[in-house]
Amino acid sequence: MPSAPTPVPDAPVPEARNGGAAPAKGAGRSAAGRFDPHRFGPVIGLILLLVVGTALNPDFATWDNLMNVLTRTAFIGIISIGMCFVIISGGIDLSVGSMAALIAGAMILAMNALQPLLASPVAVVGLGMLFALLLGGGFGLAHGLLITRGRIEPFIVTLGTLGIFRAVLTWLADGGAITLDGDLSDAYGPVYYGSLLGVPVPVWIFLLVALAGALLLNRTAFGRYVQAIGSNEQVARFAAVEVDRVKVLTYGLLGVCVGIATLLYVPRLGSASPTTGILWELEAIAAVIVGGTSFKGGEGRVAGTVVGAVLLSVISNILNLTSIISVYLNAAVQGCVIIAVAFLQRRRP
Amino acid sequence: MSEVARFSRRVLLGTGLAVAMAAGFGGAVLAADPVKLGVSIPAATHGFTGGIVWWANEAKKELEKAHPNLKITVKTASNAPEQANQLQDLVTVTKIDSLVIFPFESAALTQPVVQAKKKNVYVTVVDRGLTDPNAQDAYIAGDNTAFGRIPAEYIAKKYNGKANVVALRGIPTTLDNERWDAFTAVMSKHPDIKILDAKYANWNRDDAFKVTQDFLTRFKDIDVIWAADDDMAIGVLKAIDQAKRTDVKEVFGGAGSKVMVKTILDGSNPLIQADVSYSPKFIYDAIKLTAEARLKGEKLPATHIIPSSLITKENAKEFYFPDSPY
Amino acid sequence: MSLHIAFDGIVKEFGAVRVLHGVGFDLHPGRVYGLLGENGAGKSTLMKILAGYHAPTAGTLLIDGQPARFRNSRDAETRGIVLIHQELNLADDLTVTQNMFLGHELRRGWLLDERRMRERAAEALRQVGFEGDPDTKVRDLIVAEKQLVEIAKAQLRNARLLIMDEPTASLTPSECERLFGLIGRLRRDGVTIVYISHKLDEVERITDEVIVMRDGRFITRAPTAGTPRARMATLMVGRDLTDMFPEKRDPPPAGRPLLAVRGVTVPGWAEDVGFDLRPGEILGFAGLVGAGRTELFEGILGLRPRSAGTIEIDGRPVRLRSPREAMRNGLTYLSEDRKGKGLHVRMGLRDNLTLMTLRHHAQPLLSPASEEKALEHAVAAFGIRGDPRGVAASLSGGNQQKLAIAKFLEPDPRVFVLDEPTRGVDVGAKRDIYFLIARLAAEGRGVVVISSELIELIGLCHRVIVMRGRRVTATVPAERLSEEELIAHAIGTHTRP
Repeated sequence: MPSAPTPVPDAPVPEARNGGAAPAKGAGRSAAGRFDPHRFGPVIGLILLLVVGTALNPDFATWDNLMNVLTRTAFIGIISIGMCFVIISGGIDLSVGSMAALIAGAMILAMNALQPLLASPVAVVGLGMLFALLLGGGFGLAHGLLITRGRIEPFIVTLGTLGIFRAVLTWLADGGAITLDGDLSDAYGPVYYGSLLGVPVPVWIFLLVALAGALLLNRTAFGRYVQAIGSNEQVARFAAVEVDRVKVLTYGLLGVCVGIATLLYVPRLGSASPTTGILWELEAIAAVIVGGTSFKGGEGRVAGTVVGAVLLSVISNILNLTSIISVYLNAAVQGCVIIAVAFLQRRRP
Repeated sequence: MSEVARFSRRVLLGTGLAVAMAAGFGGAVLAADPVKLGVSIPAATHGFTGGIVWWANEAKKELEKAHPNLKITVKTASNAPEQANQLQDLVTVTKIDSLVIFPFESAALTQPVVQAKKKNVYVTVVDRGLTDPNAQDAYIAGDNTAFGRIPAEYIAKKYNGKANVVALRGIPTTLDNERWDAFTAVMSKHPDIKILDAKYANWNRDDAFKVTQDFLTRFKDIDVIWAADDDMAIGVLKAIDQAKRTDVKEVFGGAGSKVMVKTILDGSNPLIQADVSYSPKFIYDAIKLTAEARLKGEKLPATHIIPSSLITKENAKEFYFPDSPY
Repeated sequence: MSLHIAFDGIVKEFGAVRVLHGVGFDLHPGRVYGLLGENGAGKSTLMKILAGYHAPTAGTLLIDGQPARFRNSRDAETRGIVLIHQELNLADDLTVTQNMFLGHELRRGWLLDERRMRERAAEALRQVGFEGDPDTKVRDLIVAEKQLVEIAKAQLRNARLLIMDEPTASLTPSECERLFGLIGRLRRDGVTIVYISHKLDEVERITDEVIVMRDGRFITRAPTAGTPRARMATLMVGRDLTDMFPEKRDPPPAGRPLLAVRGVTVPGWAEDVGFDLRPGEILGFAGLVGAGRTELFEGILGLRPRSAGTIEIDGRPVRLRSPREAMRNGLTYLSEDRKGKGLHVRMGLRDNLTLMTLRHHAQPLLSPASEEKALEHAVAAFGIRGDPRGVAASLSGGNQQKLAIAKFLEPDPRVFVLDEPTRGVDVGAKRDIYFLIARLAAEGRGVVVISSELIELIGLCHRVIVMRGRRVTATVPAERLSEEELIAHAIGTHTRP
């Protein structure tokens, strides 16, 4: 029983055609591109935590406490920004904590060795910092080459170096601690303890790295390539993107970020020990993912990563400032908050 | 008092050895027989365990030199399952006849040790007792109760029973609980000593720094911080420095690390006045006692507690080992 | 066993967008229907409602006169309605048998009954003419075999109505023949078949009746026998489409070739291949799937290792080791696999378009305004219809393809290689693409078109190179181009010298 043909206008109706094709697969996503309340999940989570923190302990909202939190976030935060690039490109680096520990140890040994040779402790510290950056960049490039040229999964490469870095540090330290000589410690101290306009130096550097990272990701060809590779490596390869080179550079960049974090970390305690940087890799990865970057790669945000890193340290800060929850449950509280924030910023299916 | 206790324990130990010798437990191993001794300890992930590894290797060096028919194999493990696997290898591959083990966890390693003992391995357990004491021939340990009791008594006495105290804890373990219980037990007799709060800082300098920062934000008047570990004390000191706080009069660490003992000896930091000994050297003692007893075909007394003592400027010299990494 | 389907006033809305505006028609058992319509006409949505993937917003689906409401595709399957997706729905890492019983595993007590599943799978596979081993992993099958597995799987579920969405998109002519034979058998067994395809010659050959949809509405139905292809196309597009192909310009005079390939060997895929491409020429590549055409060009691009051969562009020998070097030397290649190698479907239109030429928009920071201008230009020049703020996946197939072409033309290549340029593209967009290709050639570029649609090669190309079993078997000039000629060279039955 054929029904009667419906009369239709001769000319195609563009809206209907596009509308017909789009909703089946992509309407939700195209709308998400414009405004997505889930994007603000981490920020909403952070604001809620700030409110809760202030309510529980008025000391929470003091300038000093906020600066304490931001300063201690700086290490993980700076590493997270580098990690953000690696994860967006579809990779992972598990070794950052161990790498930081080894760089810290090597850097202290180098500075202690240089001290008798150079008159000025400031020069020694300057060289030490440069050494940290070069070492970090070198480790990162080595990861990148093993992953691209060696065709080994990044998870495996960095799981391997996770062990190697920490073992080498432990060996250098004879299982104990490597400690910076007194004079150098005094010359180096201001890098962590100093402040500019009332804001501690590490916070400034964190801010600068974040701004540079955001610019690099969103406004340079390199950043676009990183996203393109993570979104679909094959497509990027066919579109004349030098996939291997870009990947190597993301790991190199992360290495430099670890170097920066380490050169801020060393003056804090003036020492490196086998416990330095333990589990930093998980904190950095968590900050990136909580900040709204897709673990599968392709999509991510530097600003979200910064918020994610701050959020993670605020949780433990609040727990330290109160005793309403049994200390045995601290990790559970952190776990709940991480899952809740991830829920707020979840992607639609 | 503690001197007396220590003395009497020494006497006891000496008598024990003498009795053992006199009784002549030579049946199992003849004096001339070579001894293959296995040592299983945690890997160096912390200043204290770093010290353990160093002292164990120190013992190996000295003893193998002194006794040509002694072979010592040192294995380090980074978690309990790994340690259990190493134990198997020591028994089946290295074919040890004596074992000194510093177990990661009491419960998890009891069965593996029982298996080793079934193969006629003489077992000395160090630091953490097994859940089944029959699995061990001898037990040598530091005094965890004293580790918590001594600082508490010291603080109570020095501040005349009146002080605001905050405390750091290590990693949630029975070891940490023993120390903490001993500490609070003493403090409960002094109603004017207030323990404001205690948080875990994982025997880690960085975590200790953060927790102390937050304690300093939260409490405006603190007299003493019980850091409960010399590594953590380093983080505590840096945090106090940074906050420029003058109310804190003293920081009490624990274990008697080289750096802390030196600080006490030199009087270089007014915040560090005393410490409690809990030296990783006991692994050295354990290896030495076990090896020498086995070479002679003797047995060790069932339990030997290496006492902890208060370290102050007066006696600090006795506890200072410049070559040890810890 | 009969299955009479009637759609009654089916309306479907996604959010605020109405995709189906009250569609009504019915399907009788044991017939083969060609469902025609451009991309976006609503065919797929309607068929997904029939197969239980979507629920209609309004209207009723009647099965044998009774209203039916499916909660999911399993409900539809139990009534014997199975949809075979365009992108086949098989798990690559499972074996053929495991796929066929996925979600319907046979058990013996707590354990899977592997033996019985393998036997039943083997029997169903034999019926559809699948000759492989049921224990092969699906990953190791070619597309045509996967298709057979899908149909065998449907047979296992006693399908009474099969919906096939573009089943021949990746099949070679002989594989198509086998599929058509199978469709004929199914029909004789009383199975209803709804056949969705843009290939009107196939529709003409195998269907009993065509049903035309346009803009979410039912337009008309007619027996296939009385409806010539031209009429079908006109009905689909809603306007006359007499000239699918632009008029062929004279082949360019022989002169210095723009691209000269000599003795190129891509191990395992192409052996000793040589050809010339002149400026202004459209050169076709014909051959069966697996003849090595795509892999030859991936080799030329440096994506696969070459063991021998030289390449000259504009008389200059070039070493191409990566698509980037190829691009710098004026050669770009648009893959047949649009979603896997051509476009970032999750990324925006602008980001896709400018990916190859970001240097032009960097000063040194990227300028969004400059990229935006490039997009505006491309949208106008290539007639890309869709939301310019959306992601590439939100475009219809034809518009995605136009975007992809625009992307690979951004570097302004002198040699442009298009692999299956109209796969999954509706009739209107196809025509646009053909005219575009002719325009590129008229501008003096060299264009290579690799295609399995012979009509397309015949309608467009100045010369067609035929490959068979890794080698070039013939170069057919424009005046001798015919389907018979090309097939004969492609399958190796050509007898003329």
